[in-house]
Amino acid sequence: MMKQCLIVDDSRVVRTVAGRIISDLSFSVKEAAHGAEALEICRHSMPDAILLDWNMPVMNGLDFLRALRREENGRDAIVVFCTNENDSEHISEAIRAGANEYIMKPFDAEIVESKFAEVGLL
Amino acid sequence: MRESTFNELADLAQRVTGQHFAPSKAYLMEARLSAISRRENFATLDDLVHCLKARPNPRFEQEVAAALTNKRTRFFREKDLLDQIVSHALPQRLKLSNSGRLRVWCAGAGTGQEAWSIAMRIHEDVGSPLAKADLEIIGTDVSANSVEAAKQGVYGHFDVQKGLSIHRLMTHFNRQESGDWAIADKFREMVHFRRHNLMHPAQDLGLFDVILCGNVLDSLTKTARQDVIENMARQLLPDAYLFVAPTESLESAAPVIKPSREMRGAYVKDTPGKKTAAA
Repeated sequence: MMKQCLIVDDSRVVRTVAGRIISDLSFSVKEAAHGAEALEICRHSMPDAILLDWNMPVMNGLDFLRALRREENGRDAIVVFCTNENDSEHISEAIRAGANEYIMKPFDAEIVESKFAEVGLL
Repeated sequence: MRESTFNELADLAQRVTGQHFAPSKAYLMEARLSAISRRENFATLDDLVHCLKARPNPRFEQEVAAALTNKRTRFFREKDLLDQIVSHALPQRLKLSNSGRLRVWCAGAGTGQEAWSIAMRIHEDVGSPLAKADLEIIGTDVSANSVEAAKQGVYGHFDVQKGLSIHRLMTHFNRQESGDWAIADKFREMVHFRRHNLMHPAQDLGLFDVILCGNVLDSLTKTARQDVIENMARQLLPDAYLFVAPTESLESAAPVIKPSREMRGAYVKDTPGKKTAAA
């Protein structure tokens, strides 16, 4: 069965580009435009991986991650941040909140593949 | 690019660094020489070759040949190989060492990622006997620009996200104001870089416990491959190990080395009359 990846980003362009890359890695892809929408999707069906932007309307990535990790099976999903917040402080904060990996934008297919491999998704 | 230009550049690459370029790889030449062409204001590679012939300049010729080598590398590119070196080969060599001194040569180190990766991997092995060893890792490359970049140990956004986990990045690098990432000072005493052409004898580098030459040999002509292997074999301490990338088999490549019986993936110097490969 194909692994599932939820892409959470308020940019449709980023969701489309990331979606193509991750589909090529043999994942089925779902999309959400902000953290609240993503949380609803996860409560219905927890994906194997979540590619997560930081700055989004309604609920940002960090608040989503903290809420996700409090969910009953919220520790099952592997969360890879994918954001323009590229400084050490943001990265440390994301890891403390339970992020498994961190992609600094801009990214390419090789970076996504490398990071997914790092956390055992490939 | 004219056919004559391709032939001139292919001859130069073969003569200086032993590289083989098939005509189908002409696009690689154009990509690898684009920076030099821009810097020197050559409109085309035909102009560059014309300049090489009209005003012979050995230094520029060397620079062009070095630029034609494969610079593609990444951190922890051969993870299994690094594990084998750090967890098995080096501890094995340490047992045989009276001085506690261990020397590693990364041959064809490019911009340094492989050499720094070995240092990181050693540092992470908490409780390893290597913690007490006097370790030196030397990375060499034929390109002066690559060696300079390797010495700086500062890598851009894209480089640090290929092969490095975020944990390793945060533990072993410092973010610069520019947004680049610099290797931590704790590794800089252990790792050094020098310019060296693998086609030349390497006695100046001294002898080594482990030589790692990954993803270099496949691009060489058969003769150059043999010369390079012989040059490296001469720098192996008795019973020391040569590692190449798993895709690069050295069977029948050079009679001076043979697969180690004791160390998976490693080669040892073939000493006639000696029955065991390693102590």
